[in-house]
Amino acid sequence: MATAMEHARRDEWRAEFDAAARRSLRTRFRYAFLHTYKPVLDDAGYRSFDTTAAYREWCARNLPPWLGYGPAV
Amino acid sequence: MARRFEYAQAEEIRDAFARHGVRYLFIGKSGAILLGYPDTTQDADLFIEKAATNNAAAARALLELGFPLNDEQVAEIERGKDFVQLKSGPFDLDLVFAPDGIEDFEQAWRRRVDVEGFPVCHPDDIIRSKEAAGRVKDREVLPRLRAFRDYWVERNR
Repeated sequence: MATAMEHARRDEWRAEFDAAARRSLRTRFRYAFLHTYKPVLDDAGYRSFDTTAAYREWCARNLPPWLGYGPAV
Repeated sequence: MARRFEYAQAEEIRDAFARHGVRYLFIGKSGAILLGYPDTTQDADLFIEKAATNNAAAARALLELGFPLNDEQVAEIERGKDFVQLKSGPFDLDLVFAPDGIEDFEQAWRRRVDVEGFPVCHPDDIIRSKEAAGRVKDREVLPRLRAFRDYWVERNR
């Protein structure tokens, strides 16, 4: 059973979705895409991996944990 | 460092990929944003059908878009790596040929959503992919993304 807090969160999200739906796609792009430096990840212009699993493993081994690319425990 | 991804650049991808006949879908958070999901992200993720002719067409389109791929990198894309990350072009782009949680491009293609000419994965596929990837940042976004999926389905019923 959803708690009052969960209901409030859902209502808040719905208001955000409604607001986004009123914006044009061009405006949504302006708000959505940002660029900030991500250490290690942004330090090479090109990377390729034979498998997606190999990419995930590389992220887990090489990226700072706070970037959030490691596996959720 | 690449500039942030802009609407005009998404149009350039759409148009260049159409000219070269590339089969692809926007996926990940960038796909969700195209569908109307309000959030922020840094790059665009494209799910590209892994097939020799399609890989080669994608490489040609990327060169046309200004991505400085050398011969070896073009050959890798043509051969079909599962994941290619481009950070030295006009914007950051992840090419995903085998996303987690999605078995087959064709099935995802059949479920795709057209957003002003942009082919986008269905929200269920975006969610499946994030569930299967299982990264910290995916787990954090999933509850709100699932709520958006419900909202989106209701609006598009």
